Amino acid sequence: MEHVSAVLLGVPYTLLVTVVALAIGAVLGLPLALARRSPLAVLNVPARVVIDVLRGIPPVVWLFIIFFGIGNQFVTLDPIQAGSLGLGLISAAYLAEIYRSGLGAVHSGQWEASSALGLSRTDSMVRVVGPQAFRVALPAASTYAIGLLKDSSVVSAIGVADIVFQATGDSRATGAALAPFLVAAAIYILLGTPLAIASRRMDSRLRMRVAR
Amino acid sequence: MNADLLSNWLEWLPDLGRGLQTSVLLAAVSLAIGIPIGLLLAVLVSSRRAAIRMPSIVLVEIGRGTPALVVLQLVYFGLPNAGLTLGPFTAASAALALTTAAYTSEIIRGGLEAVPKGEVEASQALGMSYRDTMRFVLIPQGMRIAIPALVGFGILMFQATSLAFTISLQELLSRAYSIGSSTFLYFQVLLLAGVLYLAITLPSGWLTGRLERRLSRHL
Amino acid sequence: MEIVRDPQTRTGSDAVDVRASAQPTDRLEVSRKGPPVVSLKGLSKHYGENVVLDKVDLDVSAGEVVAMVGPSGAGKSTLLRCINLLEVPDAGTVTVGDQCVDAGKEVSAKDAMRLRRTAGMVFQSFNLFPHLTVLRNVSLAQERVLGRSRAEADARSMELLERVHLAHKADTYPARSSGGQQQRIAIARALAMDPQVMLFDEPTSALDPEVGLEVLAVMRELAESGMTMIVVTHEIPFARDVSDRVVVMADGGIIEQGEPHQVINNPQHERSQRFLRAVTER
Ligand SMILES: Nc1ncnc2c1ncn2[C@@H]1O[C@H](COP(=O)(O)OP(=O)(O)O)[C@@H](O)[C@H]1O
Ligand SMILES: [Mg+2]
Repeated sequence: MEHVSAVLLGVPYTLLVTVVALAIGAVLGLPLALARRSPLAVLNVPARVVIDVLRGIPPVVWLFIIFFGIGNQFVTLDPIQAGSLGLGLISAAYLAEIYRSGLGAVHSGQWEASSALGLSRTDSMVRVVGPQAFRVALPAASTYAIGLLKDSSVVSAIGVADIVFQATGDSRATGAALAPFLVAAAIYILLGTPLAIASRRMDSRLRMRVAR
Repeated sequence: MNADLLSNWLEWLPDLGRGLQTSVLLAAVSLAIGIPIGLLLAVLVSSRRAAIRMPSIVLVEIGRGTPALVVLQLVYFGLPNAGLTLGPFTAASAALALTTAAYTSEIIRGGLEAVPKGEVEASQALGMSYRDTMRFVLIPQGMRIAIPALVGFGILMFQATSLAFTISLQELLSRAYSIGSSTFLYFQVLLLAGVLYLAITLPSGWLTGRLERRLSRHL
Repeated sequence: MEIVRDPQTRTGSDAVDVRASAQPTDRLEVSRKGPPVVSLKGLSKHYGENVVLDKVDLDVSAGEVVAMVGPSGAGKSTLLRCINLLEVPDAGTVTVGDQCVDAGKEVSAKDAMRLRRTAGMVFQSFNLFPHLTVLRNVSLAQERVLGRSRAEADARSMELLERVHLAHKADTYPARSSGGQQQRIAIARALAMDPQVMLFDEPTSALDPEVGLEVLAVMRELAESGMTMIVVTHEIPFARDVSDRVVVMADGGIIEQGEPHQVINNPQHERSQRFLRAVTER
């Protein structure tokens, strides 16, 4: 039982890093997605490179580059800042692709219908295509968010006091190596399951509405 | 600094190259063990018998709900407490194979479900058993449909080998980190490690895209 | 449900045994043909509140070709699917050859499979296995279900592919064939199980009219060879010229049946008149 209270101490940090990273990713992912969809090579080529590079290097390597590399030699960041920033940038890349496929899934006839009605490109995007794309992208985005909750465990490697960090500390302190990590696993499952259920419910509700 | 960087990179490359080999090997072993288990789980989860289906679903959900890092710690640090001590490479292979099995079972199940229902009916109408329908109709096509997603997952698994850093397996990230800690040129050496990861993940990513287009053309 | 040997044919070694079950019958076209190969009695099926089949009786004699017509939603597909147990009926009995299934009793998977292979099924959407060559499509179930050797199965498959004029496609994949060719392959695949009856569910509805003709030609040859067939179709010329009997279904029941010209040119039931006018006058 004492393992439980010890490992639970990490929950706020896990949630904090996950939420901040998601917020960064949700915001930065949008311009990245729009640039990626642009017909202009000066926009879509760099966007593609940024997305591929962010997604092509393991998260823990990014965190090390930011925390040990940039942190030691350029600007100093504390572990939470480095962790949130690193995961935030990676999330931006993944979410950009999710937004992009959401936009791609909206029938091109919707653009044509909007412009036939005289709506500007911006209006078409904000009022017609965007909301539909949002619905399409939401399930994938929530799946990503649930995955991020688990993947955020890598921030323990740069010293953020999250669930895994606490489990490691507890196992060192008590000499019990199995229990703390089993507790950690259980906590991740308990945190993730309600989110998964909620997203599945939301998904089916939205799908019903779109289908009608 | 640029000339410096280049000469440093050339100096580190042999060491990091060996680390990359270990990472690739670890990913290959984990996938080779994990995917067949994933297929088995997918078949069990698709079973019509609740007594088989339910425990399989629970197993898969536990496997998917637990971060790979935690599974790794459990296997490497935890199992010795239960009387089973594994070396870093074996422990990492086992842990990543478990994660692979759980995730790929869902990918493969998706593939199995994507096989048109009419083909299952056609097999039934021909008098074929559930087993034979699974073996000759559903699995071959479901696996083919799942290939792009499986390759995509394989790329993520390759990236996940970097987690073995935490159990001091001498893979790419560990080697880069120890060079960093002796030279204090963390940024430079980690950047090279990043480039080496990209050298594997980017071409594999392009391959997935082409595979996806190719397969969708033929089906 | 339970599958039992049909008492009428118990003495016969073969499924269609004229001595055992030949009985005088009052129907002209039936007397011309052999004993019943398919016999449905009081067949009922519902989905929730929706009664899809309501106590349907139907006998089809050996060698008889029955064309089944009727509006969409009448229950034609469900009827065919009940005959080979792709759907399990709620009530009534299904007899195919010497296999009899009684709804309401437990039916084992093995018995269901035995009944299924006595009835060949051709679907509207072909449902070929796209990952297997045409030859393997036709051979697979022969090996797995009938226990034929690969060589035996392949030889039989080639015979059947020749019969549907597609022997040259044997080593290609189904995607390389046109819709009409795929449907002919599907017919060969079903014939490979040596079924006692062939069931067709709108086999030409997914095809261009011209391509549909190739399929209808193969079906006509099949009918002339003496195969017992139940064909759900909107192809009125086929029903008129090839079938021995036209059955009109509507709202889960058979509302009218009889000699093809009679039913098509001079339907008695108001619902059949309306439907037949719609298909013939378009
Ligand atoms: N699997 C099913 N679940 C619920 N309703 C069904 C199902 N299959 C068929 N039905 C219903 O049964 C009725 C008859 O369908 P069907 O046999 O396909 O008719 P037909 O082939 O004559 O067009 C329809 O009302 C259809 O909606
Ligand atoms: Mg139908």
